[in-house]
Amino acid sequence: MEAQPRPSLAAAASSTQPLRSEHVARLREEQEKVVTGCQEKIQHWMKVEHDYEALQERLSTLPDKLSYDIMVPFGPLAFMPGQLVNTNEVTVLLGDNWFCKCSAKQAVGLVEHRKKHVRKALDDLKKVMKNFESRVEFTEDLKRMSDAAGDIVDIREDIKNDIEVKGKHRTAHRPHSRPKTSDVFEAEFVDDPKSKGSFLSEKELWDRLDELERQEDLLGELNKKSDTVFVNGDDISSSEEEKEDQKTAVTVKHRVADSPTQGSFQKDITDSKLLNGHMNGSSSYSDDDDGSGGDDDDDDDDDGGLGVGDNCVPTIYFSHTVEPKRVRINTGKNTTLKFSEKKEEAKRKRRNSNGNSSHSIPELPNIRTPADVYRVFVDVVNGEYVPRKSILKSRSRENSVCSDTSESSAAELEDRRGAMRSLSQDEAACPDASEGILEEQENQQKKLLPLSGKLEAFSGTVIEKELLSPVIPHPGTVHPVLPTIPERKEVLSEVSEETTKRISKFKAARLQQRN
Amino acid sequence: MPGRGTGREDGTEPATSPKLPLNKEELNSKIKEQKVVVDELSNLKKNRKVYKQQPNSNIFFLADRTEMLSESKNTLDELKKIHQEIENTEKNKIKK
Repeated sequence: MEAQPRPSLAAAASSTQPLRSEHVARLREEQEKVVTGCQEKIQHWMKVEHDYEALQERLSTLPDKLSYDIMVPFGPLAFMPGQLVNTNEVTVLLGDNWFCKCSAKQAVGLVEHRKKHVRKALDDLKKVMKNFESRVEFTEDLKRMSDAAGDIVDIREDIKNDIEVKGKHRTAHRPHSRPKTSDVFEAEFVDDPKSKGSFLSEKELWDRLDELERQEDLLGELNKKSDTVFVNGDDISSSEEEKEDQKTAVTVKHRVADSPTQGSFQKDITDSKLLNGHMNGSSSYSDDDDGSGGDDDDDDDDDGGLGVGDNCVPTIYFSHTVEPKRVRINTGKNTTLKFSEKKEEAKRKRRNSNGNSSHSIPELPNIRTPADVYRVFVDVVNGEYVPRKSILKSRSRENSVCSDTSESSAAELEDRRGAMRSLSQDEAACPDASEGILEEQENQQKKLLPLSGKLEAFSGTVIEKELLSPVIPHPGTVHPVLPTIPERKEVLSEVSEETTKRISKFKAARLQQRN
Repeated sequence: MPGRGTGREDGTEPATSPKLPLNKEELNSKIKEQKVVVDELSNLKKNRKVYKQQPNSNIFFLADRTEMLSESKNTLDELKKIHQEIENTEKNKIKK
């Protein structure tokens, strides 16, 4: 500190320099103390070893003669001449005042054994001493460095956040290349919270959002058929079942700074491959071909990358192109189930018949957010309402108390295996009754469940691009945006109100800004 | 017996301890001690008995006077050698 020559550097150095000279000196002092302690111990053990050596020598020569003339100690000060007889007979202290009578040779062996221990202790101590001596050296170097701080300059480069969010990481990602991309993302995400301070002003944020919206509109027109859903990472597993002609776009802007469930989001997002679409561009409008329902679930691959390049907001956009004829269920654990078109249709038919015949309650208008879906799709287990893990399963497996042989269990099985697709068609007719009951329960549940609750399923603000209109060809059937929130059951029924509120707030703010 | 006194004196003799002193001061004191031992032993009468103390104990073994004298002389030489080495190294350090 005192040796800093340049005042301009002094301030920076003092703030960043954790090694004050006095601290270093103290450290060195302590280290030297250890060294000296070690030296003392070593001396002690050397003496012990030396004593043992002398004893060993004496014991080895003791049986050479039958008797020795010695001075026998008579108290601490007096001696009297005597003779040492029985030279080959010694008693060895084993410890705790236990003695062992043995020959001189055996005693020598015992002494050797003890010497081994002593030597080991000595070696350890020497090692410790060496270690600390080198530490002392290092500390001295450190002291020199901290004393002469003027000579040493800390070179740092502050990496600004904008560089990272740019769409540089564009890679053609196939489903198998997932880990790599997610790694990249994770790294960036981790960096994000640091940059909270350097966030853009709200104004810029709004501008950016508007711009994105415009782009969305533009592209949306180009791809009329494509259904685009922007969902938060957690809820991406929107299992789109029926709405072929319905265009839905829900944009969830996930702001890192605001997000309360950031951690969990991060975790989930690494799992989800949908994220890829995000990294490379904001939206994916690729109209996926309705392939054979095989492996190509690249609907999240983005072809029309908008590029986030010009913006530095650490915003996570999520895009998911709804594919009408295939269903993907993201179970949140890297597993994706797929349904064939056939089965889906069978299901739809079934539901249609139910909805039309048994009850035609207009439940669809209520579904505006993914949370609504969970409010609608609930199971009754032991008289309690339990939200489903997946809307494709009639009830979660662990909660299924009732033994049902109905279609729902069959469907569940199918969901899991994806094998017995033809069966569903055949079965469609018979389990209608049970299905109807189930839906009734659902409707009841919908009415009963409280709507209040804190927002947990969504960590960001939700923008609904186009609100889901009740113009749905199959009333009383499954709904367009049905994301699964796999792990949290308790949240599901509570989320809706808050979420919708958020939407309105967001929109309102946006409109206001526009005006 | 008059030899007892000399035996006592001899008991302090550090016969096997020349490797211990690494310090220069310790070494000097040891050398002094050894010098005294050698002088005393060489000035003893022929009929005196010499006892050697077993290290770390209180027993004195009867030893041969001439043997003890030669032994102590040897140790004195060794100590002097060590002392010389230490001094040489110090000189070299100063030169450097």
